[in-house]
Amino acid sequence: MGERPENQANHPDDPPLLTVENLSIRFRNAAANTVDGISFNVDRGETLCIVGESGCGKSISALALMGLLPMPPAEIASGRMVFDRRDLLTLSPKARADLRGDRMAMIFQEPMTSLNPAFRIGDQIAEGVLRHRSISQADARRRAVEMLDRVKIPAAAERLDDYPHQLSGGMRQRVMIAMALANDPDLLIADEPTTALDVTIQAQILELMRTLQEETGTALIMITHDLGVVAEIADQVAVMYAGKIVEQGPVDAIFDDPQHPYTIGLMSSLPSLGERQSRLTTISGMVPTIETMPSGCRFAPRCPFVHETCIARAPELTSLSRNHLAACHFAPLEAHVVEAV
Amino acid sequence: MLSFIARRLAIAIPTIFLVSVFVFFLQKLLPGDPALVLAGEERDPETLAFIREKYHLNEPILTQYFYWVSGMLQGDFGISLRTNQPVLELIGEKLPVTIQLAVMAMIIAMIIGIPAGILSAVRKGTAVDYTANIIALSGLSIPNFWLGIMLIMLVSVHLGWLPASGYESPFVDPVRSLETMIMPAFVLGTALAATLMRHTRSAMLGVLKTDYVRTARAKGLQEKVVVLKHAFRNALLPIVTLSALLFGELLAGAVLTEQIFTIPGFGKLIVDAVFTRDYAVVQGVVMCTAVGFILMNLVADVLYFLLNPRMRTAL
Ligand SMILES: Nc1ncnc2c1ncn2[C@@H]1O[C@H](COP(=O)(O)OP(=O)(O)O)[C@@H](O)[C@H]1O
Ligand SMILES: [Mg+2]
Repeated sequence: MGERPENQANHPDDPPLLTVENLSIRFRNAAANTVDGISFNVDRGETLCIVGESGCGKSISALALMGLLPMPPAEIASGRMVFDRRDLLTLSPKARADLRGDRMAMIFQEPMTSLNPAFRIGDQIAEGVLRHRSISQADARRRAVEMLDRVKIPAAAERLDDYPHQLSGGMRQRVMIAMALANDPDLLIADEPTTALDVTIQAQILELMRTLQEETGTALIMITHDLGVVAEIADQVAVMYAGKIVEQGPVDAIFDDPQHPYTIGLMSSLPSLGERQSRLTTISGMVPTIETMPSGCRFAPRCPFVHETCIARAPELTSLSRNHLAACHFAPLEAHVVEAV
Repeated sequence: MLSFIARRLAIAIPTIFLVSVFVFFLQKLLPGDPALVLAGEERDPETLAFIREKYHLNEPILTQYFYWVSGMLQGDFGISLRTNQPVLELIGEKLPVTIQLAVMAMIIAMIIGIPAGILSAVRKGTAVDYTANIIALSGLSIPNFWLGIMLIMLVSVHLGWLPASGYESPFVDPVRSLETMIMPAFVLGTALAATLMRHTRSAMLGVLKTDYVRTARAKGLQEKVVVLKHAFRNALLPIVTLSALLFGELLAGAVLTEQIFTIPGFGKLIVDAVFTRDYAVVQGVVMCTAVGFILMNLVADVLYFLLNPRMRTAL
C-alpha cells in the first residue's frame, strides 16, 4: 500500500477534514429546500453515519459533496463546504475534478449498474489511478490487482479481465470499493452500499469496509437507513428528517440518550433481536413532501409531543451536551415529559 | 463466434429463398408475354415457339422457377435482352458504382450525424440542441430529388464548381471520381445524417443518465472522457447496428439520386431494365439487392455481437 501518513490522529487544533455549513439544496421550481441548512464536521479517520428514511435527502447531500449533483435541476441554495482547507464551492471545475476520485471518493447504492458494462473491471480501476497519478499503464494495472486483492476478490489477477456482468452484486460492490480506495482518498462517501445486496453479503461488505477503513485510516461518511449499520461502525451520527439534521452527536449519545422525538421513534422501532429492520413502525403518519413541507418544525405533523410552538417556528439545532445536538423546542426532553403527556 | 454466424446464416438462407419466390412469381403476374418481348420485331409463330422452347416458357411454372434458381446457383442469371450481356456481368459493372456512392454517403452521414447527436445530447435543452434538431428535421423533410436538383443548379450550373452528372471510376481518375460523386453522396448522406443524429442523440441521452456514467465522473475523469469514452462506447451499439441497416437501404434506395445525377449505377440499371421489360436484369438486380440487404443485416448482427462484451463472453 502507498504512502499513508503514519499518524491519522487529529491534533485538537487541526481543522476537521470536512466542514459542511448550512448546506441547502433546492430543486428547480420546488416550494422549499429539499436539503435545508445541514451542518456537520468529519475529522480525519473518523466515521460519520448519516441516517434517515428514504427520500430525506441523504443521497443528494452526498452528491453535492462530490460535486456530482445534476445542476440544473438542483442548485446549492446556500452553504459552504470546506474539504482539507479548500472551499469546494469556489474551486474551479478542474480543481474539483482533481479532488474527485483522488482525495474524496464515493461508492453507490446500485452495485449492479455502477460499473461500465463495456470495459473490463481491471481497466476501470486502473483508469482512476492513471487519472490522478503519473505512473505507467503496467503499474496502474498492478495497483488494480492489489486493490482487488484487498477487497478480497479471490484470484484477483484472473478477475482483472472480467467484465462487470461476470460478477455478482456483492463482487461488483467490492470492485467499486477497490476503485474508490485505489488512490488512498482522505474521505470515502458510501451511499447505502449494502442496501441492494443479500443480507449475508451485506454483513460481509460492511465488515470489509470496516477493516479497510482501519487499515487505510480514511475518513468515512456512511449513509444508511439501517440503525444496525450505525451501531456497528459509527463514531458520529447525524439523524436526518425531511432534509434537516434533527439530531447529531457521538454514537453512544445517540443510542443511549436520544433526544429528538424522531430519533426516539427510530430507536424504539429497532428490534432488539438481531434482525435488522429499518421501518418506522412506531411513528405514525407520512414524511411531508416538498409541497406540503410545514413552515415550523418539519417533524411536527408526526410528533407525539407536538406543541403550538412547533407549528409556529422551526427549532434550531441546539447543544445539549458536548457535541450532542438536537433540533427540538423541547430538548432535553426529560425536562418536558410531564408537560407533554 | 463462428457458430453465431452460422446460426444467422441459417436464418438468411430461408429468407433469400422467400425473396426469390416473391421476385419470380410477382413478375409472372405482370401483364405481357415475355416471349413477345424477347422476340422483338419478329412476331412469326415459329420464332415465338422457338423462344418459348429455349426459355422453358411452356413448362409448368414451378419447373420454370426451378430452372431460374438452379441457373442462378451456377452463376447464370440470364442474358440482358437489351444489351445481350450476361446479367451477372452487368451487375458486376454497376454494383461497384453504387457501393462507392453508398460508402461515401455513409461516411458523410456519420461525420455529420454522430457528432451532432452527441453534442445535442450533451447540450440537451439548449440552443445547440434545438438548432441541431431543427436542421435534422428539415434534413428529413426535404426530398432528396429537390436537394439534388438545387445543388446541381447552384454548384454546377451557377458556380460551375462540380460536374452536374457523369461518373468516373476511382481507379482511373480518383479526383474526377470524387468530383462526380461528392454531390450525390452529399444528398444521400445528409438525409441519413438526420436519422443518425436523432438516434445518436437518444442513445446518448439514455446512456448519460446511467449510474456508470456517474461513476466515471466520480473518478474525476474529464467530461470529454466521460462522454466520448464511457457514454459513447455504450451508445455505439444501437448506432452501429442502425448504420449497417441504413447502408443496406442505401444500396437499394439510391435509385432516385442516381437518376438525377445520371450515375450509371445499380439504380439506373434497374430503372432502365423495368422500362424495357428486361426481365432477367430486373430479377437479377432485385435478387442482388435483397441478398445485399440480408448481408448488411448479418453485418449488423456481427457488429452488435463484437461490441457487446456480454454476448462475446457468453461463448
Ligand atoms: N431530479 C430531481 N428533481 C426533483 N426532486 C428530486 C430530484 N432528485 C431527488 N429529488 C428529491 O430529493 C429528495 C431526496 O432524495 P435523495 O437524496 O435521493 O433521498 P435519500 O435520502 O433516500 O437518499 C427526494 O425526496 C426527491 O423527491
Ligand atoms: Mg439515497
